[in-house]
Amino acid sequence: MHSTGLNTNQIMRQVIYALILGVGASYVFFGWGVLLQIVLGVLSALVVESVFVALRGRNVMDSITDGSAVLTAILLAISIPTIAPWWIVVVGVAFAIVFGKQLYGGLGNNPFNPAMLGYAFLLISYPLQMTTWPVDFLSFSQAVDEVFNLLNFDGISGATRLDDVKTSLSLGSDIATLQVRSISQAWINIGFLAGGVYLLARKIIFWHIPVAVLSGILVMALLISMFDSQQHLPVQNHLILGGTMLGAFFIATDPVSASTTPKGRLIYGFLIGVLIVIIRAYGGYPDGVAFAVLLMNMTVPLIDYYTQPKAFGRS
Amino acid sequence: MANYTFKGGIHIPNPYPVERPEIKQAPLPEQAVLLLQQRVGGEAKPCVEIGERVLTGQIIAQTTGSLPTNVHASISGVISAIEKRPIPHPSGIDAMCIVIDSDGKDEWANIKRCDKDFLNCSAEEVTQQIREAGIVGMGGAGFPTHAKITNAEGAHTLIVNATECEPGIMCDDSLMQEYPREIVRGIEVLMHACGAKKAIIAIEDDKPEALNSLLMYNFNDRISVEQIPTKYTSGAEKLLIKTLLGVEIPPGAYASEHGILCQNVGTVKAIYDAVIDSKPLISRVVTVTGSAVKSPRNYEARLGTSFATVVKYSEPNDQEHHIRMGGMMMGVDIPNPDYSICKITNCIFVNNKESKPVVKECIRCSSCATVCPANLLPQQLYWHAKSENIKKALDYHLMDCIECGCCNYVCPSNIPLAEYFTFAKALDRKLKFEEQKTDQSRERFEFREYRLERNKKERAEMMAAKKKALKEKMAKDKEKNQEQEDKIAQAMARVKKSKEDNA
Repeated sequence: MHSTGLNTNQIMRQVIYALILGVGASYVFFGWGVLLQIVLGVLSALVVESVFVALRGRNVMDSITDGSAVLTAILLAISIPTIAPWWIVVVGVAFAIVFGKQLYGGLGNNPFNPAMLGYAFLLISYPLQMTTWPVDFLSFSQAVDEVFNLLNFDGISGATRLDDVKTSLSLGSDIATLQVRSISQAWINIGFLAGGVYLLARKIIFWHIPVAVLSGILVMALLISMFDSQQHLPVQNHLILGGTMLGAFFIATDPVSASTTPKGRLIYGFLIGVLIVIIRAYGGYPDGVAFAVLLMNMTVPLIDYYTQPKAFGRS
Repeated sequence: MANYTFKGGIHIPNPYPVERPEIKQAPLPEQAVLLLQQRVGGEAKPCVEIGERVLTGQIIAQTTGSLPTNVHASISGVISAIEKRPIPHPSGIDAMCIVIDSDGKDEWANIKRCDKDFLNCSAEEVTQQIREAGIVGMGGAGFPTHAKITNAEGAHTLIVNATECEPGIMCDDSLMQEYPREIVRGIEVLMHACGAKKAIIAIEDDKPEALNSLLMYNFNDRISVEQIPTKYTSGAEKLLIKTLLGVEIPPGAYASEHGILCQNVGTVKAIYDAVIDSKPLISRVVTVTGSAVKSPRNYEARLGTSFATVVKYSEPNDQEHHIRMGGMMMGVDIPNPDYSICKITNCIFVNNKESKPVVKECIRCSSCATVCPANLLPQQLYWHAKSENIKKALDYHLMDCIECGCCNYVCPSNIPLAEYFTFAKALDRKLKFEEQKTDQSRERFEFREYRLERNKKERAEMMAAKKKALKEKMAKDKEKNQEQEDKIAQAMARVKKSKEDNA
């Protein structure tokens, strides 16, 4: 019995439920594409997981009912553009599950966050498809048309919000107008924040990582705004734009790939926050959550080893 | 209320609570199977023979080892066997037991009574009486009590552990409710034996009746009764000391080094019986509880009584049972109820057989680390124990694990973590043993090589010396010969000369 009284499967399910608000906000602004990607992702996750678990000679039902594959698929699906072609999410989820999880020995043995591994793979391999977002709400048929490439109509897509901001900033746009255009992003972030607070309240995640990620972002953004004269994203916008809240509450807190000691979680989270801002400000990619998390995943064994709590009676 | 607490631990309510935990007298068993090997110390040597008639309270086996524990006949009757029987131990091994067939009379042996009041006896005499009575830690640890008292010589504080270490066990609770006077008196005996100036009885706050009954009978202002929060593992000695006194005793160190002696309340009652009533340890209070019995209850049963005999009185259902000796957390699973009650049997769990929950992978949620009273990282330990990477596990303080099972209890993946740690510790012992053995044989080999080399050298030196001596001798001999030859030559010359002169 977990301190929450839940078992592993129920914990996974709770995390999935906690995503509903954020996903709902995405739906409001981007339309049916969000749900379409999730459905595609989940279906491919179930298929890939079943095949691989069967190949490894393990119990298929045990594996797909633990919810981890579904969770990975949802996290990846909501990270990719809602109008990305259907095969993007399928390839990404397959990569995440096979190379991110099953090849390491399945749930619990993967050093990297599978969803973020899938995301990084997609971003590097298909940069165009991965950075083209719709500008308006898409109806169901529009979304289907886009995703399955049935009709080639353009004019509804734009760059990733953060990419957009970055470009505009370099072109000398007025920040005030940008902020208005960022409202959709802010609402989505608030949705994930609310879900994260739910997870905290249910004691499914510890406060350390989200708080550390957000403070890392804040501190680094402040430092950059203080010492770098170049025009950057305003500090507060870092917190409500891009994948900040999703990253802080759902991605960085994946227990399998995160640090597990109280002190270690603070270090791990803080450095993720710092890396996110550095990648956003100076990196070639619009958002830095995936790379920041993957980089820090690598340091987890080291962090855990050196941040062991003081055992009873030891000094 | 105690001022201190320790990190971790879990509050687990008694799964099968009863209105008032009474003690029922279990009837005399028809046969008593008495275990010669206690949990700690060597195996006792039988001093009776098959066919011999023994009386209740008579010593039937004693040890000569460092931690001797006498075994007394718990009933009167005839010794019918001295042989190996299965014993309640996690390894499932057999051990030597003495079997007594009851004659139903329960005739007591003539036990030498100490005619002096214990206060007129020296501490050593009292300890000797405790030793004679074969008393071991009754809370489940089974450490010989007299040895613990001797080690704690000069202790300033006696802690009486009345926490009832695990949920579901009620034998200490009932003892305190039924024998408060005896327990207080037993504490006085113990204080006299170890020289402690004060004693603290620690009771968890879910036992108000036991607390009240002790308060009612405690007129000794050197004995205080303290209530501590009900939390599993506060019964562990070092954690209890932390809770009461705020002292953290490091791993590897003993409470006695800090002037503290800890004794279970059941042990205290046994000490009362031994020193005041001159009764050796031949019975104990056992809780019978679990999902398969209708009336969870405590029984005072003679040692050696089979589990089945006492379980019967708690009205078990007819389904298949899962039997466990000791608590639900740290107990030992027993294949069948034919095992017999020994000195450390505080509880018998009789549960309906349930299918084991599916074990999932560890997702490193660290719930276990939150409840670990030793403040370890079970999720990391598990990883290394599973891959048998003992060195890494030791780095994560494997040896500090008290195997309390809090981690098992909270694990959302139902992983039996503590079992992995027990295994890893055993593996470490084995590896260390093998390493020692290799070291020894290497040393032996190296010494042999050295010895041969040395012998060779010594022989060579000796030979060289001999050779030298011989050479010298030969040189000397040659000289001597030369001298002699010279002399002969001279003589010959003389002879020749005289011959020539004569001619």
